[in-house]
Amino acid sequence: MIDFFIEGFGMAMRIDTFVVMALGLFCGMLVGALPGFTTLMAMAILLPISFFLEPIVGIPFLLGIYKGGMFGGSIPAILVSMPGTGAAVATSRDGYALTQKGKSRKALDMALFASVFGDTASDIFTILMIFPIALLVMQFGPPELFAVLLMSLIIIAATSGSNPIKALIMMLLGLWLASIGTDPLGGVERFTFGIFELKSGIPLLPMLIGVFAIPEVAKVVMENKKVRQLATVMGERLTFREFGASFRTVCRSTVIGTSIGIIPGLGQVVAAMMGYSAAKNASPTPEKFGEGELEGVAAAEAANNAVNGPTMVPLLTLGIPGDNVTAILLGAFVAQGLRPGPQLFEEQGAVVFAILIAMVFANLMFLAIGYLSIPIFSRLVTIKVSVLIPLVIMFAFAGTYVFRSDSTDLLMLVVFGVFGILAKAAKFDVMPLVMGFILGPPMEYAFGQTVAMTNGDMAGFFLGERWGATAVLMASPFIGYLLWKRMQRVPTD
Amino acid sequence: MFSFSRRKAATVLAAAGFAVAASFTAAQAEYPEKPITMVIPLGAGGSHDLNARVITSIIPTYLEQAMIVRLTPGAGGQKGTQEVANAEADGYTLLFTHNYIDMLQQHVETLPYNPNEDFIPIARINYAPIAVVVRGDSPYMTMDDLIAASKADPGGIQMAHSGNWGALFVPAAQMMNALDMQWNLVPYQGGGPAMQALLAGDADVTMGFPSTLSGQLDSGAVRVLATAGQERIYDDVPTFGEIGVEGDVGFMHRVVLAPAGTPDDVVATLTAAFQALAEDRTFTRMMGRLGETIEIIDGPAYQAMRIEQNGNYEVLVNELTSQ
Repeated sequence: MIDFFIEGFGMAMRIDTFVVMALGLFCGMLVGALPGFTTLMAMAILLPISFFLEPIVGIPFLLGIYKGGMFGGSIPAILVSMPGTGAAVATSRDGYALTQKGKSRKALDMALFASVFGDTASDIFTILMIFPIALLVMQFGPPELFAVLLMSLIIIAATSGSNPIKALIMMLLGLWLASIGTDPLGGVERFTFGIFELKSGIPLLPMLIGVFAIPEVAKVVMENKKVRQLATVMGERLTFREFGASFRTVCRSTVIGTSIGIIPGLGQVVAAMMGYSAAKNASPTPEKFGEGELEGVAAAEAANNAVNGPTMVPLLTLGIPGDNVTAILLGAFVAQGLRPGPQLFEEQGAVVFAILIAMVFANLMFLAIGYLSIPIFSRLVTIKVSVLIPLVIMFAFAGTYVFRSDSTDLLMLVVFGVFGILAKAAKFDVMPLVMGFILGPPMEYAFGQTVAMTNGDMAGFFLGERWGATAVLMASPFIGYLLWKRMQRVPTD
Repeated sequence: MFSFSRRKAATVLAAAGFAVAASFTAAQAEYPEKPITMVIPLGAGGSHDLNARVITSIIPTYLEQAMIVRLTPGAGGQKGTQEVANAEADGYTLLFTHNYIDMLQQHVETLPYNPNEDFIPIARINYAPIAVVVRGDSPYMTMDDLIAASKADPGGIQMAHSGNWGALFVPAAQMMNALDMQWNLVPYQGGGPAMQALLAGDADVTMGFPSTLSGQLDSGAVRVLATAGQERIYDDVPTFGEIGVEGDVGFMHRVVLAPAGTPDDVVATLTAAFQALAEDRTFTRMMGRLGETIEIIDGPAYQAMRIEQNGNYEVLVNELTSQ
């Protein structure tokens, strides 16, 4: 094992590996920053290029695109409140609030540092613990996934704001919206009223841009200030002291993100939200979260990037891709004659470790690339407001359309935009809505699978065979209640 | 000033003349004169996507035009299929799909298009035979053991599949029909998660394509009990034919379709280009690396198979849904 590691380390130290990785990171960041373009698409399109490169060059190239894209997604989320993926939703909350305060550079820096720290720590943990993690992954089936998703929704509702009733209403609305379309298990159409466009459900992107970006645009337009304050400043860079103050949060989120990465099927959205909720709960001043707290950005970004390490484990140890990104990586591995699975470590251990080590170096390299690019990106908000607002609107519509070239999505964008404006006016937080919408379908699917697995004896199945899932289900309401109580406690000083 | 604007006018005129000339020659020119779009009714990163990336990076050599992949997932593949059904039949919009989306769905749901009349096949690229898989430490040593156990305890055997009416569900259902047995079919979101369920012990049996199995097989984590077709893929593993499951069961065919009414010369050009792929060394090498076969057959031959599939699936769905 150790000699594989040392050999792999030597293999990874190649100038061409580092050059293509840097290229991948930079391209990934640009693609990720454009709403509507996903890193997944970029990876799929560039995959054939990797076929012609050596494994230790081609695969780090794809990993670079992926990692760059993850951070890229948080750029529009922070600057113009336009999260392009569910994973960037939690980031945009405090990130955009910081931009409004003229601290966009600080927010972007914090996102970068927290991302790189979370990713690096989880990658190193994964390299060291790859086989124990592989065993742990096997313990999670549909019943456990259902239990954890339900708990996540309860925690999000309990910690999202001061009014849990409003949060619950929005979450239920989100769950209902998610149920529109074809039932994923039975294939029955629900709430589609025979409209074909609704058959595949409501797409996520128009909802995200609609409820997050459009109301902010509308707010700026309606306030009609001659010169918007934030438009002139992008602020100072993050100081070391400020990062130090959030370090506990970053570490906590890294642990949360890594743990969630181990559970197959949960992913970055849950990690970001749980990291954010935990940081808010631990903070002496939870009411500042959402108003522009650097810790909020740190919590979300560290957590969603820390997912990356463990998600590679089923791919490498079992040859099973857990999501679309790892499916593309599987294609790249296989095309190189590397067959991920139990034997890969015995036969090609050095190459695997070389790739994992390259992953860690990709993070460190990204620290430099990101740090140098942030001033360019944050210049965006210094554009005159009369230019910036039309630009944001253009990107909102173009990004929505480019995602799957469907004009119905533009209509949805407008509908969700109007909804977002109304919700903001009525002081309803849209975050629980979006989380219900994103987490509802996998939860329903896991529940359906569980029912199919039980063969009719639900209680016996849970109590007899799945005590882990049972314990999580039993504990969820209490955790939710305790968190809510804590949130209610307004500091007296 | 005058001379300047005259020169400009002359330039404009020349440009316009060139454009007219170009469009005139273009009208005379052979198909294809602009990039071709290949719609995939599935999401990014799946095996169809990977196959398409390889095809579209090689086929421009033979068509002298680019081929662009457009992913249009949604409604179980119906969204992308409908898009091509409604597209102009000029050969610039093609569909890259598989037999279950193509021929089976019409018997399960009301479709916004008619697959039998709205499309003509251009080429089948390849097909993959499915294999019945159990865990390495499973008590079922042979397919006969599994069949006997399934008959002894109807519904007691948990079978993990990749989604209703998908590539693992349909052969399982056809098998249950042919062998008169009952499995408890549990859906997972794709073949990968289904395999993981098998390895974790949540499922007793699943199915998989040999290209995705070799890693697990070599390490002894799984055992193959039967493979689709009449010819053995593994020397010591019986075929579906040998265990009494006959017909086009358990094959996923990747096919390129065009809207019905596409002119014959266009079809001929496309057919020639797809046929040429089989001889292309870069193509065969890249597909080989992905673990995919190349078994290209032309439109008319595949059309006969489509008609047969249509009949088989109708019978299957009627039997399953009438229970």
